[in-house]
Amino acid sequence: MGLLSSPFAKKTNSVTRMMLWVIGATVPGLLVMIYFFGFGVLINLLIACATALVTEAFVLKLRQRPIVPILWDGSALVTAWLLALALPPLLPWWMTVLGTSFAIIFAKHVYGGLGNNIFNPAMVGYVLLLISFPLEMTTWLPPQSLAENPVGLIEAVSIIFTGAASNEATIDMLKQGVDGYTMATPLDHIKTELAQGYRIPEAETAPIIKGLSGAGWQWVNLAFLAGGLALMFKKVIGWQIPIAVLLGMGLVSLPLFFANSDYYLFPMFHGFAGATMLGAFFIATDPVTASTTPKGRWIFGLGIGAITVLIRTFGGYPDAIAFAVLLMNMAVPMIDYYTKPRTYGHADKKHKAGGGAK
Amino acid sequence: MEHSNPTPKSRASEIPIYEIPGGIHPEEHKTRSNQADIRSLPLADELVINLKGQAGNRSLPVVKAGDTVLKGQVIAECDGIFSAYQHAPTSGEVIAIENRTIAHPSGLDDLCVVLKPDGKDQWCELSPVTHLEDMDREAVLAQIFEKGVVGLGGASFPSHIKLKQHEGIHTLIINAAECEPYITCDDKLLQEHTKDVLLGAEIISKLYQDIDIIIGIEDNKPQAIDAIKQARQELGLSNIKLGVVPTKYPSGGEKQLIQLLTGKEVPHGKLPADLGLVMHNVGTCYAIQQALTEGKPLVERLVTLTGDNCKEPGNYWIPFGTPVEHLIQATNSETPKRLIMGGPMMGYELPSAEVGIVKATNCIIMSADGELGMDQTALPCIRCGACMDACPASLLPQQLYWHAQADEFDKAEEYDLFDCIECGACAYVCPSHIPLVQHYRYAKSTIRNNRVEKIKAEKARERYEARQERLERVKREKAERHRKAAEARKKAAEEAGKKDPKKAAVQAALARVKAKKEAQQSDTNEADQSKADDNNSEGNN
Ligand code: SF4
Ligand code: SF4
Repeated sequence: MGLLSSPFAKKTNSVTRMMLWVIGATVPGLLVMIYFFGFGVLINLLIACATALVTEAFVLKLRQRPIVPILWDGSALVTAWLLALALPPLLPWWMTVLGTSFAIIFAKHVYGGLGNNIFNPAMVGYVLLLISFPLEMTTWLPPQSLAENPVGLIEAVSIIFTGAASNEATIDMLKQGVDGYTMATPLDHIKTELAQGYRIPEAETAPIIKGLSGAGWQWVNLAFLAGGLALMFKKVIGWQIPIAVLLGMGLVSLPLFFANSDYYLFPMFHGFAGATMLGAFFIATDPVTASTTPKGRWIFGLGIGAITVLIRTFGGYPDAIAFAVLLMNMAVPMIDYYTKPRTYGHADKKHKAGGGAK
Repeated sequence: MEHSNPTPKSRASEIPIYEIPGGIHPEEHKTRSNQADIRSLPLADELVINLKGQAGNRSLPVVKAGDTVLKGQVIAECDGIFSAYQHAPTSGEVIAIENRTIAHPSGLDDLCVVLKPDGKDQWCELSPVTHLEDMDREAVLAQIFEKGVVGLGGASFPSHIKLKQHEGIHTLIINAAECEPYITCDDKLLQEHTKDVLLGAEIISKLYQDIDIIIGIEDNKPQAIDAIKQARQELGLSNIKLGVVPTKYPSGGEKQLIQLLTGKEVPHGKLPADLGLVMHNVGTCYAIQQALTEGKPLVERLVTLTGDNCKEPGNYWIPFGTPVEHLIQATNSETPKRLIMGGPMMGYELPSAEVGIVKATNCIIMSADGELGMDQTALPCIRCGACMDACPASLLPQQLYWHAQADEFDKAEEYDLFDCIECGACAYVCPSHIPLVQHYRYAKSTIRNNRVEKIKAEKARERYEARQERLERVKREKAERHRKAAEARKKAAEEAGKKDPKKAAVQAALARVKAKKEAQQSDTNEADQSKADDNNSEGNN
């Protein structure tokens, strides 16, 4: 028994616990998603998780690392989980497998494993899929309540694994709303309408737009918000980044909205549309790839919020959390370096501080 | 720091309290040792008194094996000013002066006086000070010096050195925060010897012409706070104020307590004295009071014995040198799984139960299996920043760790590694169970060693360069001489040739001889010089 060095007291927390908390806190959002978009969400989740665990174990074996303790840290599972929650509900199974394994292998292990990666693995997987399969990745179903053909469990399984529904309905048919129009996500819808020369108030008359943002979507976001607040309350995540993300969105979208509300969305819409809450509370707060200085956390979050709105408004993609997160990930080393806190007893923050010897 | 919930009036601070960054709230484990009154234990069969029981130089023994000594008699003298006197903790016979395992994290051996008590515990003649008011500063300092008083807060810094500087000191802070879990000796001392402690603080304050006194204490010690208020009133001491700080580890760190009580930070590379502050621990005040009014040298201290395996936890007067093994037996305790000297946050594990108690020992934790949970394997750092949120020095522990484990020491220094107070708050909160402080200690010691090496190498290089330059110079001078000699020869020959060819030939020959001689001369000089150089460098290495 070797001599230990202090401290001998230890808070009862662990990476595994943190990760389990994160997963647990997504459950309300997950349930709401299943309610509105059917069992495809759940199937995606299972495929992604299985892929992540198998890939992680395989890579660890190749890298000759202990498999069980690292698998048990839960980080691979969280990556898969968050990625799956961002995927459209009827994505072909092999795309999910591809995205997840790419995330684990290239976004995580190529950098040296947990703690060494620069980019958020889930978002790397997501962006890979989005760029490679733009059509499939933007094919969302209408909320079940608005759908002409609600998708049951059997159809979902069948479409995901074979590409065709059991009753010969195609995905295009499933995408039809009650009024016969093909439906996309609210953000997608607004973007298309604007492109066609409509103004926002007109675009917002569609049945898919409802309440804070869109039918279904507002509830999904509210549920993720609830889970995120629980995480914050339990101090699993810091409060700075999520708040900064939402603030960043507001700071950009509000002036735009006031400048011209015919073309720019109300900030609240941004806040409750698409992957906003999932992104702000669960994705941007990934400890490994976020900034870790007190000021840096703010800059990081504000940046994500601002970039998201800018891309949603002016860019080519309807939603942009993933791009915003990856862009800010890239800036983290620089942010961290320039936001080093002032050490006790030091006059001000100098980067060549120290010379520290006494 | 503002309290979110109203503080009971009795615990309210009498001065404004400022905030410190970071900090943690570990389980306190204090109630088990602060319930019982202060007690004593039977004497051990053998006391092992470490001669390096203080910061600074090892004391020089003035007794030898076979001598009998009385309690309080000097057994070792100061070696220079940065050292301390040591006195016999009880009466008995010196049976050896030899190397024994000492209380040190590395399990080192060092010179100890081994004393066999005769059981009488008989004091030598004590010389209490009768007219304290009439004594001048020097006389008081001399008494403190002779009684072997050192800081009892943990560092064992000789008190006479700390008290020597007196220019511009305006406030004395008594550190009674005792923020480490488990430890309650300062709390109990304040409760049971309140007046002695306050009088000790007054003695220190007098050394600086009656400066203000602030007692910094955590709000989890209401009994001690009440005791202080009462004693202060009874003694009529108006210059003592209570600074009650919220319970948060490490509020008792010197720099942190100063920040809490004054809102100021000790500037990097400076001392509290530069802010006009001087800080002493509760135990030190008591020891100073005893040294002056009772004439008693420092031969024992209050130690918290605690831990799950300690069967009679509490605070005990323990004579220095008492082996820990004896404390385990005398309290009927079970063999501890791990023995910690000091608190769980900053203490260290003892290499053996044979080591003797030293002046810095404020607590012994006799832990049970699983009581001190540090056995989980470390996982990679996930950069969660929990450590940063806990760091009282506003460091970035994750960056320090990152650079320390990659041996990038210059980077670690850039992140102010040396401002780390090793409080362990970061490691306490780390979800990856990384022994962060261990990495910092390693990095610091490596950097220090490198620095020493570098200075050595620098010196050697300077010596080498100086020697090279001298050789060069000698060479140049020699060449110059040769050249001049040749010129002179030529000139002489020319002149002579003009007048008398014969004479010229003779003169040329003479000139040649002279030049040769000169050249030889400088060669020998040079040889001597290089020999001297060689000796020189050997001697210095
Ligand atoms: S607390 Fe531990 S895991 Fe988190 S950043 Fe600090 S060192 Fe890394
Ligand atoms: S041990 Fe050092 S780095 Fe860690 S919290 Fe304490 S001061 Fe900060």
